[in-house]
Amino acid sequence: MPGRVDLPQGALEMLILKATSLGPQHGYGILLRIQQISDERVEILQGSFYTAVYRLERRGWLKGEWGESDNNRRAKFYRVTAAGRKQLKAETAKWTDMAGVVAAILRATPEEI
Amino acid sequence: MSLASLRCWWRAVAHRGRVAAEAEEELRSHEAAYAADLVGQGLAPDEAARRARLEMGQPETHGERYRSAVGLRIFDELGGDLRFGLRSLVRNPGYAAVGVLSLALGIGATTAMFSLMYAVLLHPFPYAGADRIMNPVLLNQDEPLQDRWFGLTMAQYAEFGRAKSVESLLGFDSKNETLSDEALPEGALAVRLTENAARFFGVRPLLGRMIEPSDALGGGQHVAVLNYRFWQKHYQGSRDVIGKTIQLDHTVYTIMGVMPRSFAFNDTLGVGDVYLPVSTYPRIAANRGIPFSVIPWVKLKRGVAVAQADAQLDALVHDFAQQMPVRFPKRFHLALQPIVVPYAQTTGRALYLLLAGVVILLLIGCANGSILFLARGTARQQELAVRSALGASRWRIARQLLVEAMTISVTGAALGVAASYWLARLSLEMERSVFPPESAIHINLPVLSFSVALALLSGILFGLAPALRFSRADAATRGLQSGRRIAGGGAGRRLQMLIAAQIALTLLLLATAGMAAQGFLQVMHAPLGYQPKDVMQAGILMHFENPKVWGEIASREQRAAFVDRIRQSMAAVPGVLSAAVGTWATPPYSGQENGFQIEGQPGAADTGPNVRVEFVSPEYFATLGIPLLQGRVWDEAENGRADGVAVVNAAFAREYLSGKAAVGHQVRIPDLATHPPLVAASPQSGGWRQIVGVVGDARNDGVDRPVIPAVYLPFSTSLPPLAQYDIRTKGEPMAYLHAIREAVASVEADEQVGNGASDLEDAIRKDPLWSRERLFSILFGFFSALALLLALVGLFSVVAWSVAQRTPEFGVRLALGASRGHILWVAARTAAIGVALGIAAGAAAGFVLSRTLANWINSGSAGWASTVEAALLLALCAAIACGLAARRAAGLHPTEALRYE
Repeated sequence: MPGRVDLPQGALEMLILKATSLGPQHGYGILLRIQQISDERVEILQGSFYTAVYRLERRGWLKGEWGESDNNRRAKFYRVTAAGRKQLKAETAKWTDMAGVVAAILRATPEEI
Repeated sequence: MSLASLRCWWRAVAHRGRVAAEAEEELRSHEAAYAADLVGQGLAPDEAARRARLEMGQPETHGERYRSAVGLRIFDELGGDLRFGLRSLVRNPGYAAVGVLSLALGIGATTAMFSLMYAVLLHPFPYAGADRIMNPVLLNQDEPLQDRWFGLTMAQYAEFGRAKSVESLLGFDSKNETLSDEALPEGALAVRLTENAARFFGVRPLLGRMIEPSDALGGGQHVAVLNYRFWQKHYQGSRDVIGKTIQLDHTVYTIMGVMPRSFAFNDTLGVGDVYLPVSTYPRIAANRGIPFSVIPWVKLKRGVAVAQADAQLDALVHDFAQQMPVRFPKRFHLALQPIVVPYAQTTGRALYLLLAGVVILLLIGCANGSILFLARGTARQQELAVRSALGASRWRIARQLLVEAMTISVTGAALGVAASYWLARLSLEMERSVFPPESAIHINLPVLSFSVALALLSGILFGLAPALRFSRADAATRGLQSGRRIAGGGAGRRLQMLIAAQIALTLLLLATAGMAAQGFLQVMHAPLGYQPKDVMQAGILMHFENPKVWGEIASREQRAAFVDRIRQSMAAVPGVLSAAVGTWATPPYSGQENGFQIEGQPGAADTGPNVRVEFVSPEYFATLGIPLLQGRVWDEAENGRADGVAVVNAAFAREYLSGKAAVGHQVRIPDLATHPPLVAASPQSGGWRQIVGVVGDARNDGVDRPVIPAVYLPFSTSLPPLAQYDIRTKGEPMAYLHAIREAVASVEADEQVGNGASDLEDAIRKDPLWSRERLFSILFGFFSALALLLALVGLFSVVAWSVAQRTPEFGVRLALGASRGHILWVAARTAAIGVALGIAAGAAAGFVLSRTLANWINSGSAGWASTVEAALLLALCAAIACGLAARRAAGLHPTEALRYE
């Protein structure tokens, strides 16, 4: 299994937005979903995870509602708002753009210059 | 902040409990889900739950995370600081009380002065656009100190109103009239207003309505609007006066409205009792060839500069002066005075000075807070060091200290504002005549925001220096190292500076108060030259508009006899010692200005200096207690003839007859104003008169100004339709008013004593100058006493604190053989040096400022004497305060002191 990845600043919030955009989910579910998709390669601390969730909620990109979880417990489900979706789209574009540029630079060989 | 985040924040603030519970529930559900997963991975349920709980952490931490994410962290911390600050205040009630009271006094006094200034200078009148209302006065270029109001005929008034810079114009005229439907006729001041009054003033009547344009219809509707005080006095504030009638000079008016208390038009010429439409002015005056005129008040258009309006109207008034030269001085120019000017000139400066005084008081209060804070901060160094060692940042510690300082200052401010309301009202009520009658003290928004800003500012002012000092890293480590505190170092010097500043400011205040008190004493002890005690002045206005009454007293002889009959009737009242006629001759402002000639001396009456001419009866001098210095007073027969005799005052003899025996010289007043038929004059009123006597100088130009040379003439020389009487009584003069009224009515049933009847002694007390000086010396005395008290409390607490801190050190010194006197000196040294520095600095400033200050408070003498006195007083009080506090150190027992902690 490849090594773990440390997330750069701000990336966690983007991942949470992405995870919730696939369908409403409670906190633990979001965490699991991110870990699943990343093949357990990102490690997320509880503390920073909830801080990020609350910050997204404060900005109005996530909306929390109380509901029933699979094992019949009351849990708070987060859902992406329209503004959140827009933000995710913008962030994704920015991210791919940046990653592409950085990758291109890193791939460069002496002949190409 | 977006809307969503605001909503989130508000929810966290407003529903604190629910939000916390939800955060915890979310944590629990997360924990349960996690544990269930762990069980699924094969862990025992107990172990799974333990691991989940361990990984998730405390619910409180989670809640804090939430609050911090929504931006509430700073509030939580400040709340903590505040609670901590309050707890530590409650633990040290003495310290807290001194701090809070120091600031309460400072803030209270400053707020009071500010609200007084706001009420008096910034916003005294209730009229709409009051700052644009101007009072046009004529400045006589030959008499530059005297300005006077002037009247406009209705045609001129209309022309005035058409001037470009004028938005609107009010014309008014005051006249004493008789309330003729009362059992005993009584006077009321009727102020007639042009019918645009309601619009011009823009003041909502308390009841009914103000004078309206429709009141001019049909030659003037007979309607009346009442002044608040008059309404209270005559109708006991009854609300059903509207529609009732009131009779003035036998004319019936219907009461249409009552004005609110704040409406007291016009305070310069006399506040009206009844306001009437100008069209109802009795036509008799006009019939006799005297054109009816009104005094104008001008409301300028918005944005028009006063100078510009001044120039426009000046040209107009000069045109009027050419049409009617008698009514205007020879050379003059027009000045538009904002209506607040009479007060601003006399009261404004002193109020600014008082404001400066209370700001100094506030600074002294702040210095007290700072001293206490520094002292206590040193004692708390260990606590602060521990906090810093546990990871508190410098900012965090400074903030904690500042919040504590704010707790004190805000508490002080709350107390201070409450006290200020009372203090400002008290000073306003104490000397009503100093301020415009309209001004009333309100706790209003500007005043409140002023004091809140003041509280925060003073909290920062006194908390900042200690906060910065004690939050320094080296201060923290030093606090940890030394369990025992040894005096000296930065705190000591800083305390010394603070004490010096406090003492210097206190000295300045004391010196100023001394000067103010001196100024007042000067006014109070200035010899008046007459005896105001137990003398009443009463005026009677004859009914010149009533042909029947007037016909009987039209000739000079008839009128003189009539005036004297009333005098005799007054003198016959039991308890009246003597009664005299003295028209326009009531000190301390008496006489009319006229030119004069002395036989055998050059000098034209036109250009030469003026004298005061006073028309009196022979009893006048004895009644007022003015001594006869040479010669005699004219007798009854001469009084009737009026011509050929005169009495002068000592100033006249000194000034114009170079002190030689004045009796026997001839004097004449060539241009005695004669306006027949209203004023009846003797045939030779302007002719030569022999000086038969010289009397002492009695004040005739105000209580504080030198006596002007005066010439006294028999009252029958010139008889206006007004007679004034001075009545000396046995005991309280105003108690005789009713009897005097009856005496007057017994001569002529319709005549009445005007409502200006007054006690001469009382009149001096109500003299604006007298009461202003009194008010300011009281206020200054009060503030400087407070300042002294605060400074001494500060001083005492510094010394007492340092004694407590250094008790072990003193024990060592005593054990090693130091004398008690030496210990006393060591304990008080820091403070004593501070006091000495402060007195030196304060005295230096006092000397430099004394000339300016003396000017500002109208104290005749420069104030260096009071600076010296204040310095001595301060040194004495400071020595006592230091000594009392340090005495404990000298009385210590070495062994106890060593064990003391």
